[in-house]
Formats: sequence, structure tokens, C-alpha cells
Amino acid sequence: MPLRNQPIRRKLMIMLLVTSGAVLAITCAAFIGYQYAAYRAAARHTVQTLGEIAASNSTAAIAFDNATDETEVLRALNAERRITAAAVYDANGVLFSHYPADAPASAFPPRPKRDGLRFDQGMLIDYQPIRQGGNTRLGTLYLRWDLVSLHREIALYALIAAGMTGFAMLLAYLLGRSLQRQISRPVQTLGQAALAVSEKRDYSVRAPKLGNDELGTLTDAFNHMLDQLTADIAERNAFGTKLQKQLSRLDLLHRITRAVGERQDLRSIFQVVIRHLEEQVPIDFGCICLYDPHEQILTVTSVGARSRETALELALTEKARVPVDRNGLSRCVRGELVYEPNIAASPYPFPGTLAKGGLCALVVAPLRAESRVFGVLVAARRQPESFSSGDCEFLRQLSEHVALAAHQAQLYDALQRAYDDLRHSQETVVQQERLRALGQMASGVAHDINNAISPIALYTESLLEREPGLSERARSYLTTIQTAIHDVARTVSRMREFYRPQEGQATLAKIDLDRVIRGVLELTQARWRDVPQERGAVIELRTDLAQPPPAIMGAENEIRDALTNLIFNAADAMSDGGTLTLRTKTVMRQMKPEAAAESPRPIRDVLLPEGSSAAVAEPPVEMVCLEVSDTGVGMDAETRRRCLEPFFTTKGERGTGMGLAMVYGMTQRHRAEVEIDSAPGQGTTVRLLFPAAPRSAEETGRQLALGLPVRPMRILIVDDDPLIIESLRETLRGDGHHVTAAEGGQAGIDAFEAARARGEPFELVITDLGMPYVDGRRVSAAIKTASPMTPVVLLTGWGQRLTAENQVPPHVDRVLNKPPRLKDLRAALGDLGRRA
Amino acid sequence: MGPLRARIRATAVALLIAAGLLGGRPALAVPTAQQVEAVFLFYFSQFVDWPQGAFADERSPIVIGVLGADPFDGALDQAVAGERVNGRSIIVRRLKSIADATGCHILYISSSEAPQLPQILSALKGRNVLTVSDLGNFVQSGGMIRFVLIDEHVRLLINPAAAQAAGLKLSSKLLRAAAAGGPGGEG
Repeated sequence: MPLRNQPIRRKLMIMLLVTSGAVLAITCAAFIGYQYAAYRAAARHTVQTLGEIAASNSTAAIAFDNATDETEVLRALNAERRITAAAVYDANGVLFSHYPADAPASAFPPRPKRDGLRFDQGMLIDYQPIRQGGNTRLGTLYLRWDLVSLHREIALYALIAAGMTGFAMLLAYLLGRSLQRQISRPVQTLGQAALAVSEKRDYSVRAPKLGNDELGTLTDAFNHMLDQLTADIAERNAFGTKLQKQLSRLDLLHRITRAVGERQDLRSIFQVVIRHLEEQVPIDFGCICLYDPHEQILTVTSVGARSRETALELALTEKARVPVDRNGLSRCVRGELVYEPNIAASPYPFPGTLAKGGLCALVVAPLRAESRVFGVLVAARRQPESFSSGDCEFLRQLSEHVALAAHQAQLYDALQRAYDDLRHSQETVVQQERLRALGQMASGVAHDINNAISPIALYTESLLEREPGLSERARSYLTTIQTAIHDVARTVSRMREFYRPQEGQATLAKIDLDRVIRGVLELTQARWRDVPQERGAVIELRTDLAQPPPAIMGAENEIRDALTNLIFNAADAMSDGGTLTLRTKTVMRQMKPEAAAESPRPIRDVLLPEGSSAAVAEPPVEMVCLEVSDTGVGMDAETRRRCLEPFFTTKGERGTGMGLAMVYGMTQRHRAEVEIDSAPGQGTTVRLLFPAAPRSAEETGRQLALGLPVRPMRILIVDDDPLIIESLRETLRGDGHHVTAAEGGQAGIDAFEAARARGEPFELVITDLGMPYVDGRRVSAAIKTASPMTPVVLLTGWGQRLTAENQVPPHVDRVLNKPPRLKDLRAALGDLGRRA
Repeated sequence: MGPLRARIRATAVALLIAAGLLGGRPALAVPTAQQVEAVFLFYFSQFVDWPQGAFADERSPIVIGVLGADPFDGALDQAVAGERVNGRSIIVRRLKSIADATGCHILYISSSEAPQLPQILSALKGRNVLTVSDLGNFVQSGGMIRFVLIDEHVRLLINPAAAQAAGLKLSSKLLRAAAAGGPGGEG
């Protein structure tokens, strides 16, 4: 492992040992080197000195050729053991004497070499001249100093140095072990602290300070850094929490705004806002009040679900009224956000009221649209001073959003209403226009058809009356033609009923509606009560007639027909039974649609008379409302839109599609209005609104000049229902006929026979179909048997069905629906009368 | 072999070369006792200190006198030729009588002068002259150094008292060399 990766303790130890070792090695090397050099210097000096002494002592011996003396001189050298050899050569370089004396001559250089000291092959060699004083050289002295001892010494020194080094290293190691802690321990503790901080993120860790050196300073700096870091982290966490809170508020604001944006009505907007506030912010009490600047009153509009109990306790439930006093509320309605950190001791009524409910902190935020405060948002908590500035800011922004949304919802609502009105108006206009066009077309078609069929009718009639020689077949065909023509004429006449704008200059008389209604109910009883009962269905009748009975100006027979049609329709709509309601009332109506906001909003048609759109701003006028309601199947929008059109029917073959068209024609002639409320499955209400009769108005006419004049006839009416008899009699008498009535079938036959016997035969017989004992079929058969030319009109509640199923009985000239329609009757009378 | 022999051999070699050149047969000659003694006479100048008054000045030469018949046959002249001792040159003089001995520092008394020895020695009394001779009883007679031939080696017999009386200082090394392996006394 490289040194840089070693633990600091080991690193310090290694450094210490390496340094000590290096110092010791250098010291030892220097010492040994010095010793070596010193030894050599000393050796040189010694050899030089010894050489000089020996040389000096050898002069006489060599001069006087005394080898014995010389040997003795040399022997003295054995005092220095390191001199291993010595020799003396004479002036000619011949070996003269040597030491040790017993060594062979070959152990010495054969001749002396140049003078001087030199190291040679581990030895110190000295050649020294021998002379007496400064005189001629007598010879040469050779000395050999063996350096083996030097090497031995050096080796010994090295050994000692190694030993000392080892000991010193051991000592250094032991000392270093205890001393390096001074550095390694603070570093380790610092390192452990740093590790704890970095791994466990425990910023409360502090490194203990172990001294006042640089490491102490470092520890202080580290701890200080940790302090700062802790502070920074705390600050950052606080900031993060704040940011998180802000973000969650923004998110909440966003969610509320979205939730609000999905709603269009104020109440639902307010509810969703309060609910979010209660659940998400949260608050202990929340409500929204609308502000009435004229009365200086706040009306509680929405109270949160969780606040309801508190609201009950404080009498701040919805629709509660809170006066705006001179406290925070007045500031709030001027557009300021009001924050009361503690309302416990507030002297003012509104905060005081809230304080009674245990609420302490209060924020009231204005709802402002187009710089006008239209309401306030009230949020309260039980904890005093519990709204932070962030909360207040949030509520302020929220209130702005809510205000905007509420304002938009109001605008939307107004726009929707305007749009609906416009649409209704447009539909009305279109409908009127279409009906008018249809009417004109019907009128034209009727005129043309009438013209076209008139010659046919005339000639057919003429042929039948004036050509007695006709075969039975021809007579039969002509009769069929005539019947067909009558049918065409009847259809055409119905069409004319639908649109008959100025025809005949109808005279309007004052009519008692109560009487008409009761009459019609009697006449139609079979249809709305008896027939359903046959199927087991029950139609309950309710009448709600105004007292005193309102009077209108109108043509009674037309109104009666219209009402009859309406009751038939109601009965048809309630095939499984239900409630039929007839109602009259006097209402004050402006000529504009009612703007009631009811939920669910009913489909409503308001059909105004022509030219009445200009009267929108007119003051309300008194009108008499005749209303027929059923609880039947109702109509869908398309049906409702088209139901007034001629020939439009939902009854298939059974319907002519003329009923409501005729009602409409009637209202046109009476300057009345038709309103139809209907929705699928929710029943239908048809309202006829007639201008009320002026109270001072006199009855201007008894009759309406309607239809073609019919010549007076003697007519027999056979029916078991006295009311029908009565009505028919009155009607026909009104037309100038002579009417005799017979109650029951047999009575009718008898009356017919009696009249014939008197010579005053009846020119026409009207008989009911369904009668006890003797029914209409037998009556007509009897009459035809007695007088084939006498027309028989069969009255029946099943008229349409009979016709449809081709079940018109023989001997019957005409089947009329019950109650008989006057115009049908007239047509029949006119037709049958002419034929008779 | 000492410088003496070397010197002697050098002399011999020179002679042999001369002989060779002259057509003689080359032969390695052993130096004679006379030749050795001649060299010894020269060496005495190195181991003896004369008093200040013995020389006229610093440069005055050392004079070796040969009294009587010269036994050295030129070897003494050859030994001192070109030599200087302590800055002084060396002169050899041959003397007929003791009267001619004035100015000598070393005086070799030849065997031929044996009869006049006592006169000679008495004549030299009080003078700073080193006396050397081969004569028997020379030392006992008051001479200073006598050559003695022992085992064919020339050895010295020295009378330090006589030298001291003559005002001469003999080197201890000379005395030790004379004593080592020496004759011990005159027989």
C-alpha cells in the first residue's frame, strides 16, 4: 500500500522511524567514516614516525655494515603489532636486514620502490630513505602496516552502529507510539466526527478539543463550521417548510380555483370554497356572506358543513342577517382584508358573537368585483393569533379568485338568462311565423278545395235529388261521392278552424268561465273518467277555480271546444291514470317571461300574441288564466315545439293533429296567450291567458256569427245523458233549429214514429251510441227502416276509433265525436239538412 | 650488505668495466678489508662532531690524513670523491710525519708508523683529531678507533675516553654499532 494511503498513525510512525533511521545512519556513517579517516591518518603518522625512528637508528648499523645491530633495531618494531613487516635495503637496493627476522627474504620486495607512504592492497606501505643528517643516502627502510585491524575495527563499529541503531529505532518506536497520539488522536477524533456528520447526517456531533495547537484550532474551526452548518440547515429547512407550505397553498388555491371554475352557480361556488377551506387549510369556522350596500346588511349565504354546528349555536345559519357596524366588517366591505388575531375581548357585536362560539382568530376577506364589494369571506379559528401572514395572503388571493368566479358566474347566469329569453323569443316568433304561414296556406288550400269540391257537391246533390231515373248503383255511387265530399269539406273546415283570422267578425261576449268549465267537464266525463276506468286506470279530477269567478270576453263555443280538446289530450296522456287539474285564477302579467330561478328549470314556452313584443315594458295587466294540468307522459322539446302545428299528432291514426292547432286558432282570435309547460315524464300544463273582461263592459252580443248559416230543421236528439241533451238542445236551438229530445233509445224511436204520425216528421236524428237497452245502432236502424232519407247522426265517444277501424255502423249518416263539436254538428246539419 | 659494500662494489664494477674494456675477463670481486676501511674512514666524518675551533669557517673542508704508507691504493680518494658532509668537502692528505699532521681532522696511522706511535699520539695530545689505526694495542696506547677483522668482517674498537679527551663527540649510534657483535676489547 502506498504511504499516502496508510492510516495517519502508521504514517507518523513510519515518518518517525525513517527520519530517526536516516539520522542514525548518517551519524553512524559519518562516525565510521571519520574513524576510518582518522585511523588512516593516525596509521600514516605512526608509520611515518616509526619509520623515521627506525631509519635514524639504522644509519650507523648500515654505515658500518652491522646487520646484527640492524636486526635489533628492527626488532624493536614488534612493540607495534600492526607493523607486520619491515626491511632495510642498502644504497644499492640490496636487502640488508628484515623483520621478522625469521621470515624468508621472498616475503619482502626484492628492491625498494620510490619513497613515500601509500595504501596498497589493504596495507599501508612506507619506503623511507636512511641518511645520517643531511648527508648522502645510506639506504632505504621498508615498513608494512597491516590494515586488517582497521577493517576489523570498522566492522566492529558497524556492528555497534547497527546495534545502536536498532536500539534507537526501538526507542524511537516506543516514544513515537506514545507521542504520535498527540497528532493522530485529534486527527482521528476529527475524522470520526466528520464521518458521523457525513454518514449519519448527525449535525449535533462535536469533535472534542484536545489541545491548543493547530489541530485544536482546526477542531474549533470544524465545530464552528458544524454550528454554522446546523444553523444553515435549520434555516434551509425552515425555508423549505415555508416553501412547501406556500406550494401547498398555491396548489390548494389552484384546486379551489379549478373546482370553482367548474361551477356556475353562486351557491355551489361558495360551498366548494368553504368546504376546501375547512378541510385543507383548515379553519374551524367558515362562511360567505353577501353584502347589501343599501341596507348595510350582510346575509349569510353559505356555511361550511363543519361550521354548521357552530353556526347554529351562534345563530349564523344561512340567510341570517348581520348588520355592518363600525368595526372590522365596515372596513372589510370597503375592500380591506381584516385580520383580528384575538377577538375574545372584542366589544363589537359580530366578533363578539364569534367569540362566544369559542373562536378567537378571525379573518374577513372582501369579495370584490368591479371595485365593488358584494360579499365577504369569513374564516375563523379557535386558536388565537393562528393566522400567519401567509394564511392571510392566501385568503386574500382566494377571496379575489372567488369574487372573480362569483362575478363570472353571475355574469354567466345573466347571460344564460338573456340567452334563454332571446331563444324563447326567437322560438316564439319563429313559431308564430310558421303558424301564421301554415294558417295562410291552410286558408288558401281550404278555399281552393272548397271551390273545387263545390260543383261536385252541388252536382252530386242535384243528381241525387233531381234525377229519379238513376239506377240503384248510380245512386249508390253518387251517395258515396257525396259522403266523400262531405268528408273533404269537414277536413277543410277543420283547417279553417285553425286559422280564421277575421272570419265572421266574431262577436265576443262576456263569458262565465266557471259555467263553461263545469259544462265541459260534464260533457267530457266519459273520456277522462269512464274510458280509463274500463281499463282499470283512475284519473282523479281536481278543480281549483277562482272566486269570484273571473269573467272574460270571448266566444263561448270556441272556448268550450278548446277546453274539450285540452281535457281529451290530458286524458290521452294519462293512459295509466293520474290527476287532471283545472284551475282558474286572475294574474297580473307583464308581457315578458317570468325570470324565476327554479331548479330544475322547467321547459317553458311563452307564446305571445302578435305585436305584444312591443308591450314588454308595459305595466302589468290583469289576465285570467285557465289552466289544464295532467300528470301524464309529458312532451319532449321537439313535440312541445311542434304541438301547435296543424296535423301534428302523436296519436297516430287516432289523432287528427288539429286539436291544439284549433286551440291556438281560438287564442289568436281572442287575443289570448298559450303557455305550455311540459317535460317528458313530468306531465303537461297548458295555460290559456285571456285578457280579463272589463268590469263595466256590457254583454255586447249573445251569439257569435260563426259558420255557414244552416236552415232551421226539426231535430230529434236521443241520449240517456240529460246534460248532453240539454247542451245539444241549447246549441241547436241557438242555431234556430227545432229540437226535441228523447231520453233513451226506445223513447227516441217512439218520438220519431209519433212525429211522423203527426205529420211533422223529424228532418234529422242525432242519437247517442252507448245507451242502455236500446243503443244507437238499433235507433238508427229503426229510423232508417221507417224513413230512409232521414239523416241519422251518431254521437259517440269512440267516434274516431270507429272511423279508423271502419266500423261505422249501417244506417248512420254521420258519426260525431262526443261531445259533439258544434262546427261538426253544424257541418253535419248543414250537410245532412241540405241532403234531406 | 651495507653502503660500504655498495660503495666497494661500485668501485669494483668501475674497475671491472675498465678491465672488460681492456679485454679482461669479467669477475665479481669481493671488496678487500682496505677498501672497507677506506669507506669507514669517510663515514666517521658523519658520526663525529668536532668542536667549533677545529674548522677555520663553515665551509672549511674536513681533512683526512694518512700518515705513513698508504694501504688503500686509491680507494680512499675514490670513497670521498664528490662527497660533502654537513656542507663540507673532504680532502685526503698523505703525510710523511706527524709534523705534517697540522689541519687534519681524521688521521689514519698506517702500520708502518708503529714504532713512532707513542710519539705520534703524544704529539697529537690536546688536538681535535680523530685517530684511527689497524695497529694492535692502539686503543690501549691512547688511540681512539682501531679496525679489527672478525670473521672477515671489519669491526671497530673504540676508546670513547680518548675521543672525549680530544674534545670530540662520538655518536651513540657509532658506539652501539661498534659494540654490537664487536670484539669487546683488545687482545
